[in-house]
Amino acid sequence: MSHLPASIDFRANVRQVPPALPAAVQKATAKFLGTRAALVDALGHDVWQALRQAGHDLRLHALDNLDRYLEQAERQVLKAGGHVHWARDAAEAQRIVLDIAGQHRARLAVKAKSMATEEIGLNQALETAGLRVLETDLGEYIVQLKGVGPAHIVVPAFHLSTEEIAALFREKLGVEAPAEAQQLTQIARVKLREEFLRADLGISGANFLIAETGTIVTVTNEGNGRMCCTVPPVHVAVVGIDKVVPDWESLTVLLKLLARSATGQKLSCYTQFISGPPRSEAETGPKELHLVLLDNGRSRILQTAETRETLLCIRCGACLNVCPVYNSVGGYAYGYPISGPTGVLFASQILGAKAAGALPFASTLCGACNDICPVKIPITDILLQLRHRVVEGDAQESAVAPYRLQLAAQLGSFALARPWLYRLGSRLLAWLQAPLRSGDWLLRLPPPFNRWTMARPFPAFAPGFRAWWRSRSHHTRGRS
Amino acid sequence: MVRRAQLFITCLGDQFFPGVLQRMVGLLERLGVQVGFPAEQTCCGQPFFNSGYWSQARDLAAKWLRVFGRTEGAIVSPSGSCVDMVRHHYPRLFPPGTPEHRLAIETAARTFELTQYLAHELKAIEVGARFPHRVTYHASCHLLRGLGVREEPKALLGGVQGLELIPLPGEETCCGFGGVFSVIYPEVSRTMMEAKVQAIDSTGADVVVACDAGCLMNIAGGLRKAGSPVRAMHLIEVLTAGGGMP
Amino acid sequence: MDSAREEILKNVRRALGREPDSALPALPATARVGPRVAGPIRDEIEALFTEIQKLSGTTRRLAGRDALGPALAELVTAEAVRKATLWTTPDLESLDVAGALQALGVEIVPPQAGKARVAECELGVTGVDAALPETGTLVLRSSPDRPRVVSLLPRVHLAILRPAALRADLHQAFGDVQGDGYCVFVTGPSRTADIELTLTLGVHGPRSLHVWLLPGC
Repeated sequence: MSHLPASIDFRANVRQVPPALPAAVQKATAKFLGTRAALVDALGHDVWQALRQAGHDLRLHALDNLDRYLEQAERQVLKAGGHVHWARDAAEAQRIVLDIAGQHRARLAVKAKSMATEEIGLNQALETAGLRVLETDLGEYIVQLKGVGPAHIVVPAFHLSTEEIAALFREKLGVEAPAEAQQLTQIARVKLREEFLRADLGISGANFLIAETGTIVTVTNEGNGRMCCTVPPVHVAVVGIDKVVPDWESLTVLLKLLARSATGQKLSCYTQFISGPPRSEAETGPKELHLVLLDNGRSRILQTAETRETLLCIRCGACLNVCPVYNSVGGYAYGYPISGPTGVLFASQILGAKAAGALPFASTLCGACNDICPVKIPITDILLQLRHRVVEGDAQESAVAPYRLQLAAQLGSFALARPWLYRLGSRLLAWLQAPLRSGDWLLRLPPPFNRWTMARPFPAFAPGFRAWWRSRSHHTRGRS
Repeated sequence: MVRRAQLFITCLGDQFFPGVLQRMVGLLERLGVQVGFPAEQTCCGQPFFNSGYWSQARDLAAKWLRVFGRTEGAIVSPSGSCVDMVRHHYPRLFPPGTPEHRLAIETAARTFELTQYLAHELKAIEVGARFPHRVTYHASCHLLRGLGVREEPKALLGGVQGLELIPLPGEETCCGFGGVFSVIYPEVSRTMMEAKVQAIDSTGADVVVACDAGCLMNIAGGLRKAGSPVRAMHLIEVLTAGGGMP
Repeated sequence: MDSAREEILKNVRRALGREPDSALPALPATARVGPRVAGPIRDEIEALFTEIQKLSGTTRRLAGRDALGPALAELVTAEAVRKATLWTTPDLESLDVAGALQALGVEIVPPQAGKARVAECELGVTGVDAALPETGTLVLRSSPDRPRVVSLLPRVHLAILRPAALRADLHQAFGDVQGDGYCVFVTGPSRTADIELTLTLGVHGPRSLHVWLLPGC
């Protein structure tokens, strides 16, 4: 789904999650976590932690000097004969790509997996203008056929069974499709091969953009990235400005972190380094290269020091894999192309608190994501800041939470700040609970606390400690 | 020099776990600690902080610091998340250079979760407990990742006579409490809690032990809802057991 | 001038609180990791081959030029090759791989014949510009005599490797290629786990990867 909702209702989305989904999610994430752990162990704990720190420090350095690196990247791409466009927002990026497509009278575009293009709704914009746009990453191709968005940033269709995919191919492609993965892969290979060779336009994102030489780096396992960037006559790369890294040496760190964190591979199959269009006529490759630098809220994220590290993300998906919330609900509940912890960080800030204010609360703050992030993003600290933004507002946005919650917080802290009122409240609750009590438990509580008791009983109030302490102090005093 | 410890009983401990607090007092005194209880304490403000209501959190933090700031000795709590709040978030609630900020840093430095205090300050791993039952351990998130307390609770359980410690699958996976999360997204909280209860059941243990009131409320309720015979206990209850189930 | 460009850069500078002409600081030392020191060449090649095999690639050591013909005969039969396309580097020309294939009845399609014709080839033959033992990676550069499509479109990729191509790590490999317009680091045949996490090979890139070591330069 390339269109984004006006407002994300996480709870409502969760209620729509099919019962079979969590088990499928967990099967996938467990596999990735396992292969990742094996490779991290093989490298050694100290080596891995040093890499994480290096990854963090170099990405932060790039962000702290983003303007200079963007200018350097632009200079280098232009020097290499590429075109550079700047897009402030989704609409502008769409217009730029449409213009390029129009100039070449493009009718068919093939696309490598790119979260940035999903974020800006590029497919829809192109299709509205009469182009056919084909996702070429197998998982994205499958969900595109199905008419839904990706359920995970690395394996978009993992939640669909082989049978479902076979049925989809039979229905949408009109071919014999046995429910067997290798044969389905072969069907997709043949189908997409025809399209690659016919396509007028190849669209990609970039995993990284090396400022030193203006180099677009793409990382794929399937080869569709190579196809999109090599075979059609025009290549358009839509790249978030946060993807910039200073130099090639930075990649000696980042490439070691990325594939291990994402899929438990030492290196993905194809890491492509593209610095401009081919330098001679005789080389195979696109005739034109267009780099579209996308802001779409990233410079705003930069503004708040407490949330800036959101942009360190290298899109590995490890935080999704380890998140107990993601594992309970899958990607669609988040209502955004990127899901899980990093998806919450991006969606909250790119869409804003009004649209995405529900998301920062979709976390228990367990912190597993902090520990697994290869570039040490302080994810839970950022979530806390985003929650603060939603309910009290901060320099970036004013509060959007309903006033009655503010009132409840004020009353609550008023009572808790006054020991006499706190103790009075405690006695009152212990007294009021009598009719609800069933032994040591309260089986049902009034709203909104029935949200607790719908799942499990609440313990009965038992504020006996203070009286115990007082009586034993009297006792001790009495004895001495 | 007499060791002094001030009890930080936490609002949940105060309201729901009097036995845990009493046993904590008993154990610390038995280990030669002079225990104090600043009665003006109420709540550290964590629920407000986690919900984004930092103005309210700041007020409660300032109050907590006034109450405990004028005490001497270590401040000890049976709850990892509350200690994490004080140690990591209190300094951030107050602008650097202010008296509150300095007080936050000083006070945080002497605030400990119980197993931290036992293992590192008192160096007491074996405390003469006997609990001949099958026990499994759930690692509370803030204790584990916030405070870095991973081995201490298990070492303490290891020092208990007759206790058989069975590893819990997904020991470090969140139980789904998450404070206000449990009422904001109750369906997800329930799914996570049910997964934790299932893991506990699969171990064949008689008891699941944790060091955080929130986790215990969630897990105990879940076990009861599932009709499970497994008991949820705070670590201190096992450490002060003489043999039978208290 | 480009108002979007100016606005974005302005917003970035403002967000960073930057003075327009302040100097670019160097990267912190903690942002770097040290290079790897290569072991003896035999061990490096052994490690490279082990990694490639783990990735479902096939490796072979050929004693010399003369072994090439019979090896190609086996490959052509095993992979049912009817058409092939090749790099035209001096090394491959000197080995006359094209000639050997033609002698086996394989039609040679020049890469310049266009993508549709190259896509009909079952086999693409390249050299290896650099090889990384830790990950089993082959670095393939791009130039008029090293067309990109040769290692991409056919379903079988044969890479002729010389020991001199071995590099210690990414640092060293980057030293070779960072001035280029294009290169690709190939680590195993094309793969995906998109369908129920089941590993399948040959999605869009080659399904088979064969790496043959020839001694010498």
